[in-house]
Amino acid sequence: MSETIIETKGLLKNYKGRAAVKDLNLNIRKGEIYGFLGPNGAGKTTTIRLLLGLIAPSAGTIEIFGKDLRHEKMNILRKVGSLVESPSYYGHLTAIQNLEAIRRILNVPKSRISEVLDIVSLTGEEKRPVKGFSLGMKQRLGIASALLGNPELLILDEPTNGLDPSGIQEIRDLIKRMPQEHGITVLVSSHLLSEIELMANTVGILHQGSMVYQDSITNLQQRAAGEMRLVVSEPEMALSFVENRGYTGVLQNGTLCFTRMNDTTVAQLVKVLVEKGHAIYRVEERRQSLEEFFLQVVGGVSHD
Amino acid sequence: MIRRVMSADWLKIHGKGLWFLAGLGPLGLVAMQALNFGLRYDYIKQEYAMDLWGALLENISFFVPVALYLGSTLICSLMANIEHQTSSWKQLLALPISRVTVFSSKLLLCLILLTISCVLLSAGVMILGLVLGFGTDHIPYGEIVRIGLWPYGAALPILSLQLWLSLTFSNQAISVSFGLILSIVSLFSIYLPEWVPLVWPYLAWNSLQPMFYSIFGILLGMLLLLPGALHFARKDVI
Ligand SMILES: Nc1ncnc2c1ncn2[C@@H]1O[C@H](COP(=O)(O)OP(=O)(O)OP(=O)(O)O)[C@@H](O)[C@H]1O
Ligand SMILES: [Mg+2]
Repeated sequence: MSETIIETKGLLKNYKGRAAVKDLNLNIRKGEIYGFLGPNGAGKTTTIRLLLGLIAPSAGTIEIFGKDLRHEKMNILRKVGSLVESPSYYGHLTAIQNLEAIRRILNVPKSRISEVLDIVSLTGEEKRPVKGFSLGMKQRLGIASALLGNPELLILDEPTNGLDPSGIQEIRDLIKRMPQEHGITVLVSSHLLSEIELMANTVGILHQGSMVYQDSITNLQQRAAGEMRLVVSEPEMALSFVENRGYTGVLQNGTLCFTRMNDTTVAQLVKVLVEKGHAIYRVEERRQSLEEFFLQVVGGVSHD
Repeated sequence: MIRRVMSADWLKIHGKGLWFLAGLGPLGLVAMQALNFGLRYDYIKQEYAMDLWGALLENISFFVPVALYLGSTLICSLMANIEHQTSSWKQLLALPISRVTVFSSKLLLCLILLTISCVLLSAGVMILGLVLGFGTDHIPYGEIVRIGLWPYGAALPILSLQLWLSLTFSNQAISVSFGLILSIVSLFSIYLPEWVPLVWPYLAWNSLQPMFYSIFGILLGMLLLLPGALHFARKDVI
């Protein structure tokens, strides 16, 4: 197992007595693209602010690169690039001057400015005051700023917010390249599962401040892949018969429902039912979309 | 470390009117006296024939405290607003620099700008006196430098306060209206007791021990910086 980059234990943040994030145990490994998912107000931005030391946790600990954030904040932040919520910029300065203001603090070579401008495809616009930029261009500038210090960990809060479809694609490809080309670990938040699905390896779903689901994207896709439905004659008898043979299913409105199964299992199931003398009227797979799954996970938590 | 942050801040204040303001303050005070002396030249020349330089300094000294307060208020506010405007704090403070360094950099830049204003004021007074033909024989160099620097030192408590207010509240109406109220109250300095720090810039010119008020001001100003910086270093950045 590769080394852990972000580890939080029992992280809690209260705002006026209400928990915005509660009992959060994150574990993000090196080279991973971790997709942080949740509906509006779930606590994604709050978590990201906590990880960057912008706000102090009410309880719990944060370790990044194996160091405690409270004690080694500067050493940690030196290796972190971030974009939090709406893009930050100085409107009266040009894109180059904006990056230069950050570069002077980070103390990286000047050549890095044109490199990051190139990465986010802002070359050609760099000499205009940023207040005249479109939202997408400001977002790109924000990503360029995050990349300026050659970070080992990139924390991006809704980075594709405000981008056009080709821009979304571009940023997504950019994010996917990060671990491969530069060994960078990425934490990226979004409220769209479809977007996370396309770039992350691991997904954590946050709802009302708590982690309600955390798994690899492959497992998630399998879980969400849906169920097999069989319409047969004498369904009750059929169900108890196959249950004795090790299948687990339920009866819904006269339809047998089984969790997703592979082709051979389906073939065997049909075969035993036919041999037992049941007529098989219909065999269908009902695919649940990931969004449906997401809503189910998020909706399944009690509202307190 | 602080030099890097300051050079970044230096870049950010370009085109934000801070330099303009630093020049406008002293220029305004001098222009006001140019008008005053220009219009009443004959009368003043008769009345104060013995000490024309002294008359100029005294006339201008009345407005120095209020100009210092207005200047501190606006400079702090403009400086802080650069970061508030597009919520750049979250970007700036997620960089590998301590918040105390960020705070100190802003403070030093405000101090540099105000120092420039005060030096310009002294220079302006000198030039005005020469232009009005007060002569080169009795130029009170010491007094001219003193009018630029001592009230400035005495105004530092308010600068500390305004810096903290401007950095803390993103709504600059709060710090600016507070600064305006202080500036207006300071116009009535003669009626206020001497232990009120607001009065010290006035007393740093018009009292028997002007230097003490300047020194008190510097000490209190530094003292007030501590809670401000501490709060800035600990607060949640939204
Ligand atoms: N400064 C604050 N003061 C009080 N409550 C806050 C503050 N910031 C966030 N909250 C609350 O914390 C909860 C989580 O907010 P957060 O911004 O982390 O959500 P999010 O997951 O980023 O949502 P979105 O998708 O809309 O960006 C919300 O209920 C919000 O009202
Ligand atoms: Mg958010």
